[in-house]
Amino acid sequence: MDIRNFTYLVYGYSAAMLVIFGYVTLLVLRSRRIDRELTRLKSLVEDKS
Amino acid sequence: MREKLILSLAALGTLLLVWDFNTIFLHLPDEALQGAIYRIIFIHVPAAIGAYVFYSVAVITSAMFLVKKDFKYDSLAVACVEVGATFTLVNLVTGSIWGRIIWGIWWTWDARLTTQLICFLLYLGYLLLRPAVTEPTQRATMSAILAIFAFADIPIVVMAIRLKNVRTQHPQPVLETGGLDPSFWPPLLISFAAVLLIGTALVLVRLHQETSRREIDYLRRELHAL
Amino acid sequence: MTGWSAALAIARKDLQTELRTKESINASASFALVILVLFSFAFDLGREELLEISGGLLWLVYSFAGALIVNRSFARELPNDCLDVLIASPAPGWAIFLGKALSCFLLLMAVELISLPVFGIFYNVQWTGAFFSLLLVIALATWGITVVGAAFSAVTVNVRLRELMLPVLLYPILIPLLSAAMELTTALVNGEGLGGDNSAGVRLLVGFDVIFTSLAIYLVDFILVV
Repeated sequence: MDIRNFTYLVYGYSAAMLVIFGYVTLLVLRSRRIDRELTRLKSLVEDKS
Repeated sequence: MREKLILSLAALGTLLLVWDFNTIFLHLPDEALQGAIYRIIFIHVPAAIGAYVFYSVAVITSAMFLVKKDFKYDSLAVACVEVGATFTLVNLVTGSIWGRIIWGIWWTWDARLTTQLICFLLYLGYLLLRPAVTEPTQRATMSAILAIFAFADIPIVVMAIRLKNVRTQHPQPVLETGGLDPSFWPPLLISFAAVLLIGTALVLVRLHQETSRREIDYLRRELHAL
Repeated sequence: MTGWSAALAIARKDLQTELRTKESINASASFALVILVLFSFAFDLGREELLEISGGLLWLVYSFAGALIVNRSFARELPNDCLDVLIASPAPGWAIFLGKALSCFLLLMAVELISLPVFGIFYNVQWTGAFFSLLLVIALATWGITVVGAAFSAVTVNVRLRELMLPVLLYPILIPLLSAAMELTTALVNGEGLGGDNSAGVRLLVGFDVIFTSLAIYLVDFILVV
């Protein structure tokens, strides 16, 4: 088994996982931002009404 | 309920992927000409086909939005396009790494790679357009039109690239011609199932975010009114 | 007023406005000529290589010029709510769209036919031999650029950073069309005819035009109301 090919195989799968986890991270950060905004707005609406 | 669904889909998908890795890395033999690198096919091809599945769902929901004017269709469309674009990126990146080993170059303008890149650019444009429009109905209508145009373009891109008498370096379709060793089919199908499951979980998360965003818009309007 | 006469009236109105001010045709033609000059500095090629890239060069210039023209097309209706008035008029949506697409088509053809002799002189490329075939290819591809361009111009007319978004959205969709046009132009300039292998390219141009014109007209009500 050619060592070089195996190395790149690992790179390939790592890259794939990185892209997917990068997207998941993006989703998580966005979720947090949205939740913060939502709670802030809800409290503001409650204060005003 | 929704969270349980997302978690179970993601967990199932991840489990399948892990079991698949076990098969791919430990139980399959090396290929004669390529060594170990050919195993990348098990993420490269399912990612591409998964992306097409999500793009198809996106175009259908986009058309439904134009007809029904219900925002949940728009939310589903953007979620599917985002997840589809992510998988297309996975396909491009893994393909590039595979090509580096097999053909010695990171990129070439052959039929399949060019099609995938154009696909990625089309839907990247869609994702770039959305933040540029603030009004929700306008944004949803524009995105829907763009999604339909983009989807209609893909078969034409395939045809156009076939015109160019480029020596295709990309391997000939092995799945359709049955050139694939029968022992490869189970891990490939499992990989594909895993991609669909994980993709669906991601779509559901994104969908929830869109719903929350609409709630934020509604609350902002209410705040202005008070 | 029937649809067709409305379309022609709108096309005539646009052309008259344009011919009085000459704003976009001047900008577009100057830009095309400047780019042609710039490319001659970018490449230092012998005759053979120049003939090989001639189609590519020409259509890059034409597509940049085209984006300028279609961008102005709907943007010029924004002041004084002209666009709303146009949409509210009895003219059917498809007539408005076709009228604008037609005026963009004629303007872009004018710019292209001006640039063509300049291209021939600067790059020492003989195109007179295949003029009528070349005209057919230019007309078909230009219609494709203008119909998709007009559709996206209408869609992005109210978007922030419109001048930036329009090319980002437009060019990926046009890639198959431009690719075929480039191939055919290079072939014609090199003395080949439109038959044989090249007829597939012509078929692709026609197919692209038919598909996207139909799609744009079918979706025109959503495109214009955006």
